[in-house]
Amino acid sequence: MTDLPRERQPDPALKKRVVSALVAAGLVRRRRVWPVWMVAAAAVVVLAIGVSVVRPRHTLAPGKTYVLLLYQDSTYRMPPKGHGAERVAEIVRWADSLHANGKLERGGHLVGPGPIGGMFLIRAQSDSDAARIAATCPFTRYGGRQEVKRFEE
Amino acid sequence: MTDDLALVEKFLRTRGEDAFDALYDAHTPALYALAMRLTGGDQSEAEDLVQESWVRAVRALSTFRAQSQLRSWLCGLLVNVRRVRIRTDWRMVDAPDMDPVAETRGPDEALDLERAIGTLPEGARDVFVLHDVYGYTHREIAEMLGIVEGTSKSQLTRARSLLRSSLP
Repeated sequence: MTDLPRERQPDPALKKRVVSALVAAGLVRRRRVWPVWMVAAAAVVVLAIGVSVVRPRHTLAPGKTYVLLLYQDSTYRMPPKGHGAERVAEIVRWADSLHANGKLERGGHLVGPGPIGGMFLIRAQSDSDAARIAATCPFTRYGGRQEVKRFEE
Repeated sequence: MTDDLALVEKFLRTRGEDAFDALYDAHTPALYALAMRLTGGDQSEAEDLVQESWVRAVRALSTFRAQSQLRSWLCGLLVNVRRVRIRTDWRMVDAPDMDPVAETRGPDEALDLERAIGTLPEGARDVFVLHDVYGYTHREIAEMLGIVEGTSKSQLTRARSLLRSSLP
């Protein structure tokens, strides 16, 4: 009698059912899944910032400071598989050129809920100049939405 | 610290899906096999049993004590969930009266045995499965089922006798 199997694999769908029941009862916290595009976009921003940090500092160009916000939502088109590094390099080159001209103060990855995933502080002569600089960001070329606001302390 | 205890502690610390996944993967095959036997091979009922058992287990996991094996604790919980469901579901109360053994005999001996176990009266089936298949002692079974050891022994004798008469 003891030769009968003591284990038996249930239908894989049962696990989803059980976990859903536990989550609904407040007994288990659902695993947080970061969308692939958000992870990749965050990596782009972080790398861009990393490069800007290690570069020699340049004198900031005259003008005003503007905040460039990057919306990492569903309109942003991810690079094809295996081409993520090219996208990163593109953003880094853009950040480098701005920095070299004293037009980039700093950038950062914004953590938390909501679609805004990154920001750059840029220097521009005017609102329209800031918009023009923002439009050069490769982020827009891939459907990434942006917003530019003048920063006042 | 046993692996099970580590898994339990990790789950209680995080209450996360990943930690639960590890517990689920480690013990569900045993729970499901037990549930299938206790339900006479009713997959839908067995899945319901496993689900309800996990919900109850997670609610009570903080009371689990390392002195007992997690698997025994979970199996006992499943057996009791099953018994509560029998008491509250008239359809299951009728189940022990069914005697489809003669019709369901097949060429495979193990399959015959599985089917025959499925036709045993509930009390005898529970004890037989826990004792002869899973190797629990009468004392452990008595604790799990809330019966005295003597009842466990007599149910086992009854189950074996019924199986002997129903198998080829």
